[in-house]
Amino acid sequence: MDMSQYRDLFVSESKGHIQVFNELIVRLEDNASDTPAIDELFRHAHSLKGMAATMQYQAVADLAHRMEDLLSRVRSGELGFAPGVADILLEGSDALSAMVSAIEADDDRLPDAADLVNRLAGFNAADIPPSPPVSASGTDAELRAGDRDQPGPAQDHQPRQTDSFKSVRVKTETLDRLVNITGELITTRYRLADRAQRCEGAQLEEPLNRLSMLLRELRDEVFQARMLPFSFVADRFPRLVRDLSRKQEKEIQFQVEGKEIELDRGILEEISEPLVHILRNAVDHGMEMPEERIAAGKPGSGTIRIAVTRDKDCVNIVVSDDGRGMDPKRLADKAVEKGMLSREQANALTRHEALMLICAPGFSTAETVSDISGRGVGMDAVRAAVHALGGGLVIESEAGRGSRFLLRLPVSVSIIHALLVECGPLAVAFPVNAVKRTIELRDGEIFAERGQSFFSLDDRQVPLRSLNRLLGQPAASDSRDVIPAVVIEAGGAATGLTADRLLGQREIFVKPLGIPLSRIKGVTGGAITGDGRIVYVMDASALL
Amino acid sequence: MLMLPVSARETTMSNATVMIVDDALFMRNILGTILREKGYTVVAEAASGIETMKKLHGCDPDIIFLDIILPDANGIQLLDAIRKIKPQAKVILCSAIGQEAIVRKGLDQGARYYVQKPFSPEKIAEALESLGE
Repeated sequence: MDMSQYRDLFVSESKGHIQVFNELIVRLEDNASDTPAIDELFRHAHSLKGMAATMQYQAVADLAHRMEDLLSRVRSGELGFAPGVADILLEGSDALSAMVSAIEADDDRLPDAADLVNRLAGFNAADIPPSPPVSASGTDAELRAGDRDQPGPAQDHQPRQTDSFKSVRVKTETLDRLVNITGELITTRYRLADRAQRCEGAQLEEPLNRLSMLLRELRDEVFQARMLPFSFVADRFPRLVRDLSRKQEKEIQFQVEGKEIELDRGILEEISEPLVHILRNAVDHGMEMPEERIAAGKPGSGTIRIAVTRDKDCVNIVVSDDGRGMDPKRLADKAVEKGMLSREQANALTRHEALMLICAPGFSTAETVSDISGRGVGMDAVRAAVHALGGGLVIESEAGRGSRFLLRLPVSVSIIHALLVECGPLAVAFPVNAVKRTIELRDGEIFAERGQSFFSLDDRQVPLRSLNRLLGQPAASDSRDVIPAVVIEAGGAATGLTADRLLGQREIFVKPLGIPLSRIKGVTGGAITGDGRIVYVMDASALL
Repeated sequence: MLMLPVSARETTMSNATVMIVDDALFMRNILGTILREKGYTVVAEAASGIETMKKLHGCDPDIIFLDIILPDANGIQLLDAIRKIKPQAKVILCSAIGQEAIVRKGLDQGARYYVQKPFSPEKIAEALESLGE
């Protein structure tokens, strides 16, 4: 029987099983008597073994079989779930993962796991005291499952949902196409509305309203289909933090709150590596060694927490730790040392701005030497990724107490709420998320200092720049009574951008621009408004 | 009665209807393919004990392939429950190596035959032949 048609399914199912292995193993390290978790772990090893055997991937089946055997010994009480067990199971999980990747890449030579298989088989319980049996019986591999009449094994976690007819798998490309089409429909509807306005007596209002409503519903459904819970990226974090902290001999508790909160999968994809980077930093640089912590009167075990919350059309992801924190003053000093700022500039930094210095490219050489190969992820890339999504990054920290990284992201990406602004012949859009406010400035409200313009906002001096000049557009006439400006948040600091006219807020559907337009700095996409006008979507911080 | 579309290419070599119970999508797919190629009609699939019982209230499969390790059920207890509401259905147990004791118990309690995973067309054929289909 030709098994190759099942390869994709084998790969995706296996990845799912391996993902759950990792979660469960890390969870069991904290609570070795979590019986349902051990049973579940066993079942996953068992399923993986079955699939591999069916596909005739003998090496995979053998490895899974050994892991299943080891887990069987844990269930019968012969072994306790001590760190040694967790370590070797994680090694097995990694080996399985490498094999599955090879299979996915159509590589016939699977990584050799013979040594690991032998170690699993001969795993010695001698140094690890057996714990009381966690399972009631141990004949044969019979699973202790609840009676059908009883509720299922008590769970404070959901076992991985098994497939049934209630849900289907949809390729991400298909969803992307649906989003595109929906976006086009919405744009077309605006254009229809526009023309209807110009046609007297066309009486298109009622069907247009109905169309609007249906399109809104369609858009909501399509977006909902693209949503994934935060756990989709967060599930691998516990393992990551555990491995990093073990390597550095630090003790760290890791918590995630709000992992059921859903975000657009495109956003999740973009935010995954940045979050990994922030976590690595928190472990590497943020967390002190246990002795240092105790000497400072803190608990020896540090805490890193990710909290996800939702408010209206934003998702807030906060990564916080109770580590050594950062001192804004020292960051400013470092910037001066590196020649990035003059002494006066450094002195003029707000606390906030000083903390954001870590996002300046090249600021921390330690950042760039990372074993996340090839992605060039530094805090500057983190900030860039967040801004490209129309979101914002804020850093708070207190020396000795800890740090907090707040990522504010839009819930969905392609259709955004934007503020349109006229600048010369161009129409330019700023995601509303990035706009603090709009303001109309009178002559007397703008003052110049050392060649820079400023205005006053909430008792602070905010720099003012000309959007026209930044975009290379002809300047507006100077003799205006009132100059409209958009106050945007860039790099934690506010800046005002003057323009010709404010055109109001709209929902626009953002499409990526092709080459060469995509190379323009500060422009992240294009859109078409209802009256057929092309709008360029800006990433303000990239502009400045 | 649950009706599902029948593929046009199926012959009427055997019109027997089958239900597949296994918590792995992968396994259900493979078993389903083997069975359809032999001319059987898969009328229902289930991934858990609860789903099995629910679906059985709406269909009458001639044959049930029953995986004995399910996330929410003990295979033998489920077998009992199935035989109570569908005594005429012929149950074939699907097991992995090392589960001989459970299989023996199941056969004692009314299962007709068993297939040891990994599935292959030959093993399935052997099991089906034993039922006299």
